[in-house]
Amino acid sequence: MTETAISTIDAAAERILGAYASGVPCAPVRDLITTADEAYAVQERLTERWLADGRRLAGRKIGLTSKAVQSQLGVDSPDFGMLFADMAVPDGAEIPAGAVMQAKAEAEVALVLEHDLVHERHTVADLIRATAFALPAIEVVGSRIRDWDITLADTVADNASCGMYVLGNRPVALADVDLRLCGMVVERRGEQVSTGTGAACLGHPLNAALWLADTLARLGRPLRAGDTVLTGALGPMVAAVPGDVLEARVDGLGDVRVAFAAEEE
Amino acid sequence: MADIAKLADALDAAVRDARAIPKLTERDPFDVATAYLVQREVIDRRKARGERLAGVKMGFTSRAKMVQMGVDDVIWGLLTDAMVVESTVDASALIHPRIEPEIAFLIGREVRSPADAGAAVAGVAVGFEVLDSRYEDFKFTLPDVIADNASAAGFGFGSWHPPRDLANVGLIMEIDGRVAQTGSSAAILGDPWRSLRAAARLAQEAGIALEPGHVVLAGAATAAVPLPAGAHVRVTGAGLGSVEVTTR
Repeated sequence: MTETAISTIDAAAERILGAYASGVPCAPVRDLITTADEAYAVQERLTERWLADGRRLAGRKIGLTSKAVQSQLGVDSPDFGMLFADMAVPDGAEIPAGAVMQAKAEAEVALVLEHDLVHERHTVADLIRATAFALPAIEVVGSRIRDWDITLADTVADNASCGMYVLGNRPVALADVDLRLCGMVVERRGEQVSTGTGAACLGHPLNAALWLADTLARLGRPLRAGDTVLTGALGPMVAAVPGDVLEARVDGLGDVRVAFAAEEE
Repeated sequence: MADIAKLADALDAAVRDARAIPKLTERDPFDVATAYLVQREVIDRRKARGERLAGVKMGFTSRAKMVQMGVDDVIWGLLTDAMVVESTVDASALIHPRIEPEIAFLIGREVRSPADAGAAVAGVAVGFEVLDSRYEDFKFTLPDVIADNASAAGFGFGSWHPPRDLANVGLIMEIDGRVAQTGSSAAILGDPWRSLRAAARLAQEAGIALEPGHVVLAGAATAAVPLPAGAHVRVTGAGLGSVEVTTR
């Protein structure tokens, strides 16, 4: 990359870090960067900063795994972002007001690895062998970009719109669940607000995880034993309103809840 | 007072000619109660031609659809044996057919009350419904769609399974081997069993008996998609197997 590109990458990273620091969403960064490579370079700047701050990398999230969302953004591939240990909250925990900017939620399948995935190309057999267990998960996404006004470059630079995440508490072996046909429902006060199934995630959540494993190995920050992978939404995203409690159920995996604190007086 | 016979004539002719008509309410507004009378009249004509009642279908069972139509209750339509799709459907005999994945119930004995409906079920299956609004551009008001028998055109079902929990069954609808829709049975009123009880309630109110052998289509788990000619459609439900149909 040219020096100009590097300085605009730094500028984009600073703009996003500024939004985190102030709690106020910022303008999109697509005036500074355009390509996916540049956007990942911005994300990597953020990652380096956060690792230097002492945060522990706990896994990755995969985004843009549904046909509908891909066509919305005009892309034909998923994206990924970094999960840090401090983004994880226990089942049923309340997310403090303001902790995730412009929060939305989606139900997903999480995979927890017991082996590294360091090859250039992985097979689904490699992935199944490397997976210790699956868990139901809710990803609370957020955007540091004002009004979610995002292109692919904006969301990738902004750590793939990661916010926080909640994992269920009962591990399930891949042999014991049909991740393609598992029904998914998210409920708010007993009313279903999102429904779907595993096939909505790139045809199968493992397809998404394979893409991630290959992509990360190529980029030099491969998936490691112990990592959690949020494989992507099984149905439409739900807006999270302060005071909400959302419950997600994934058939064969179990259920998981997240609460959003009411806004401060 | 709307001329029920005339409205039924128009809809019956639209089905038989496979030709779309303007919305009936456009020229002659009528209410929901009248719409159900028109629906019954159209079915009575089909029965007079030798068709038999084969069950009921539930509509507007998703929250999104209710909000879109501005209603707070489900609607229903009546199914006849002529609507049963064995393995092929002739798309050219329909106006602008769509297909959607369904959960189907098989009634095993007479349903005495809505509360009794669950106990009367002999089997559950994954199914599909072929929809074909008789109105131009598939556009209608609530009374229009009720009069038009909730757009019912055809239906099919896979093998029957013993009654079971259906609250969160993953469903996939493939067209020519490619995934066209994915969803969960939770989209059907939160649980298709709830839709079955609603069907029993509406049947009771309408004085129609749900009888052994009748099928109740609980509602769509996803949005309907256009049903092209020369296509192979398969609907698969977790733990329920699949059902297939080809179109001519």
